[in-house]
Amino acid sequence: MTGLCVLLVDDEREFTTALTKVLRRRGFEVTVAEGGEAALERIAERSFDAVVLDVKMPGRDGLDVLSEIKQRSPATEVILLTGHRSVVDERDGLRTGAAAYLLKPHPIPDLVARIEAAAVRSRAARGGGGA
Amino acid sequence: MPGHPAGDYRRLRRSLVLRMALVSVIPLLVVSAANSWLFFRLNRAIVVDQHALSLRHQREALEQFLAAREAELRAITERYTVAELRGGELDRVFRVIRQQPEVLSDIGVIDSRGDHVQYVGPFDLAGRNYRDAPWFAEVVERGVYVSDVFLGYRGVPHFVIAVLRREAGDFWILRATVSADYFERLVNVSRSGRTGETFIVNEAGLYQTKGAHGRLLEPAGLGKPAWHEGTRVGEEEIGGTRYLVTTTWLGHPRWLLVYRQELGDVFAPLFDASLLGIGIWLLGAVGAVVLALAVARRQVRRIRQADQEKDAMAQRLVATGRVAAVGEMSAGLAHEINNPLATIDTLRTWIQDLGGARSIPEEDRQEILESAGKIGEQVARCKVITQGLLKFSRRVDAQPERIDVEAFLGELCAVARARARVDGVALDTEFDKLPPFECTPAHLQQIVMNVVNNALDATAGRPGARVVVSSRLEGGRVVLRVRDNGPGIPRENLTRIFQPFFTTKPVGRGTGLGLAICYGLVQELGGTIAVDSAAGGGTTFTIALPQRAPDAGRSTP
Repeated sequence: MTGLCVLLVDDEREFTTALTKVLRRRGFEVTVAEGGEAALERIAERSFDAVVLDVKMPGRDGLDVLSEIKQRSPATEVILLTGHRSVVDERDGLRTGAAAYLLKPHPIPDLVARIEAAAVRSRAARGGGGA
Repeated sequence: MPGHPAGDYRRLRRSLVLRMALVSVIPLLVVSAANSWLFFRLNRAIVVDQHALSLRHQREALEQFLAAREAELRAITERYTVAELRGGELDRVFRVIRQQPEVLSDIGVIDSRGDHVQYVGPFDLAGRNYRDAPWFAEVVERGVYVSDVFLGYRGVPHFVIAVLRREAGDFWILRATVSADYFERLVNVSRSGRTGETFIVNEAGLYQTKGAHGRLLEPAGLGKPAWHEGTRVGEEEIGGTRYLVTTTWLGHPRWLLVYRQELGDVFAPLFDASLLGIGIWLLGAVGAVVLALAVARRQVRRIRQADQEKDAMAQRLVATGRVAAVGEMSAGLAHEINNPLATIDTLRTWIQDLGGARSIPEEDRQEILESAGKIGEQVARCKVITQGLLKFSRRVDAQPERIDVEAFLGELCAVARARARVDGVALDTEFDKLPPFECTPAHLQQIVMNVVNNALDATAGRPGARVVVSSRLEGGRVVLRVRDNGPGIPRENLTRIFQPFFTTKPVGRGTGLGLAICYGLVQELGGTIAVDSAAGGGTTFTIALPQRAPDAGRSTP
């Protein structure tokens, strides 16, 4: 399955750059946002199949952005990826509708597999079979 | 242990003793002074009253004596005619009235011309004429007369009592001489104390009786006394000595009866009593001070104990907060490392992706893929560390080993010595030979290095700077001490040094985490860490560890 649209939201530019390369090579269409506000702008412009969302960010934080996304487009799957483990964040994130709460550094093959699974689920939920 | 400098308690005790002593001694002093004053006044009033009373009694006695003599003479003049007296009766009468011992020294009859017509007595006075004597005129005028003391024809001090008798148009006078010795004894009976004396002066202020020290007919030092009613008591200074002088006037003759006593003598019993009072007061004051000392000592001991308990409690509270803070700090640290680790791992994936390209020679491709794989292994290793840090305050991941303390510390100190040399600090070691003990080496290393580095920071560049690391067995525990001769830790900082992020080092030099981590690690190892320091007196950190590592699963909740 190709043409899955992924939005990466993280203030660590080196990380998003590297992950973008890896995902694009695997056929994903990748958009990057460096913070919460930027992420919401991108989502307003178009729809994504999956969002990879950092939790701790300057400005609007990940959980905030997550609830906003879930309000606007409940079908969009969101994976929380954070360097800071917090039991409270994990609980709140999953309750708000996150597909997973992963701790950095998460093994890349598993991360890619989860993103793909989430994106496929999302696209199916929105009633399509493909782009 | 953190503690207050001993000087604080000495000062506290001194001020307590002073206050308590003042509080007890001052009221004692005030009450005693008031008591003494009242006692003195009362005593003086009593003494004055006594003197006045006894002098009044004596005056009455003297007046009665004179009145009795006068009455006797009057009775004789009425019982006998002048002819009978001149005819030999005077001899008989005198023998009756002179009494024993001699009250009257002689008696005589003087006719209206002033001639001494009949005389019984030891002097040769018969035939003398008294027409011009002052007393003669007086007795003629008033019928009765008591003279002042005078010398007269006989040349011996005496005084006379004379009574006038009118008979058949003429008159005659019966005159008797009162014995000066007898009268003296009569007057000067009430002598009290060492200096008390009673005497009589006439209106001119001359001694009529000589008292203890006076001479008859000489001035008594009272000037010319003024007449006053009743009895008067006052203080007078005569020749540099103060006297209490009590006086009362006799009616007839005009004599002043005087009781005189030195003031010091009058109040001697009072002064004796005062001395005793002062002694008792001093005893009381000494008692109060001793009591104050004892009470202050006990109070200070209690305060000291309370302070120590407070310090210990503060330390326990700090310790609880500290463990939580160390956990939080570890989590923050893990976060900071996890982010770059994620980037590294992603880039490793990218390298693996590209490394598989056919354009790269087979040999290089193998190298690239192998290196990428190794990067992955290292990332995984780091991840184990960061995950461990996240669980830091909850579990000991590292495994305890048996450690030879001497060798282990020796290695650490060798490393530290390199830095110590640069700082100009002598780093010495005093290791006892100890049996191997169970401990987590990484933890022990971090604890020792943190404390030693602090000691080096504290002493660096100071003249004679020295740090001593020692180890020994005390009460079944391995006790490590790091002692320095640095400036010491101020008391107010002692309870805070184990708190995370507390540092006195310059910005950029200290994180404030070293001792906090030490404390957490020592706790993990089931031991204790304590600091002993006084500002200016150097610092000693004491780390006591059990010889066997605690059961990892039960060490912490």
